[in-house]
Amino acid sequence: MKTKRITESILDTILYLSGLFNLILDAFKNLPSLRMNPVRTVFSRQIYFAGIETLGKMVIIGLLVGIVIISQIASLIGVGRGDLIGKILVWVVIRELGPLFAAIVVIARSVTAISAELGSMNVQGEIVSIEMMGIDPERYLIMPRIIALTLSAVMLTFYFELAAILGGITVTSLFWGIPFEQHTTGILSSLTIPELSASLVKSLLFGLVIAAVSCSQGLKVSGSITKIPQATTKATMQSLFFVFIFDGIITLIFFL
Amino acid sequence: MITLECASLNGFLDCASLAISGGRACVVLTETEFEKNLLLRIFTGLTRLDSGKIFIFGKEVSSFSDSELNAARKRIGIVFNNGGLISNLKVWENIMLPLSYHSSLSHHDMDEKMISILGKIGYDDDLTILPGPLPVFKKRLAGFARAMLMEPDLIIYDSVFDGMSSDIRSKVLETITAFQHEKEGRASLFLDMDEGLLDYIRADSIYTLKNGKFYERN
Repeated sequence: MKTKRITESILDTILYLSGLFNLILDAFKNLPSLRMNPVRTVFSRQIYFAGIETLGKMVIIGLLVGIVIISQIASLIGVGRGDLIGKILVWVVIRELGPLFAAIVVIARSVTAISAELGSMNVQGEIVSIEMMGIDPERYLIMPRIIALTLSAVMLTFYFELAAILGGITVTSLFWGIPFEQHTTGILSSLTIPELSASLVKSLLFGLVIAAVSCSQGLKVSGSITKIPQATTKATMQSLFFVFIFDGIITLIFFL
Repeated sequence: MITLECASLNGFLDCASLAISGGRACVVLTETEFEKNLLLRIFTGLTRLDSGKIFIFGKEVSSFSDSELNAARKRIGIVFNNGGLISNLKVWENIMLPLSYHSSLSHHDMDEKMISILGKIGYDDDLTILPGPLPVFKKRLAGFARAMLMEPDLIIYDSVFDGMSSDIRSKVLETITAFQHEKEGRASLFLDMDEGLLDYIRADSIYTLKNGKFYERN
């Protein structure tokens, strides 16, 4: 009995994961639909909401995180090692915190919004009425959200990392008197292709998986609006879970 | 336009047959809202039959590819009972949605077309608001404009006269009749549960869905 339940649960998980994978694959297949005006409008709105509106807060968080990290490093290894401080800053921010913080902010802002929006559209029969008009919901609703959220995650990661590094350097230069050049040497020598590609791959994957999970949970809502909060909670928790799993896997692949 | 041949579906349809021909006005009466909504899904190829055949514009639905099915749906306009508007789009975006998705007309041409149709149906409310606060009647009018913009070959009215005063109903009926005659071969299908509909609609054929079968009335 127990084995049967475990097998069923494993099969359900595999089916769910393949569903997410198909959603992402279909989004790429449907990319040419971005030429259509209404699809482009949905895409632009998602970019604005998930990316541009969040940018200011992301930069502030980046600055603060950069300052915190560099202060800790400087007090740990001493102020005379500007190049090492720069290196550690790059490792921590570019390899790990940039993609992770951007993903967490995207989850906090967009996962709940997308899953609730799609869920409510489903419950109110709006998705059916879209289909009845001959409009493919995967092209009109899902693809622009997946692509926009992914691009937003990449964009937010980039700005977070930039703000964190600049913020950190500025603070140590102003308050600890570490020469700016020492930092730049450390930073430039650590900014290698693997660091940058790990950051890019992480943010891309995080964006894709977050978007797919939120769309999938939103589309699953049916029957009653009371199921919407359940779907948003599920989408948020699953997105966080997948982000941490992928983070571990990519870090192992790139830096082991 | 739409033909059902011995269509069966999980106790809901039991070898039911029906034909909606071009250029005619047809009424289909159901007993429940569930039946009416399911019929709408069957007529648009969203729900597949267990057995039997459904032809949409002369072609069997199971032989349609996804894009062919969407092209067929494009030729069917639906005016939903609740308007069927998308809640996060403004009224004008709702009206324009299928046209801007399916056609390659310029913005200017689409705007002109929309304004002319809104004039015809007498929609005078703010187009720049979200549809949420609008009364159901206005939502239906916007849904009607959206369907008209696509110049469909078949237009389905889903209980559109619910809760209308006789004055407004007469005006809407005039517009519906005029719209049907605007294009040769255009058919109108009224899906409803209220038999009272037959008092004011002059239909060419009337069907009642009962016990899984369609019965044509004289």
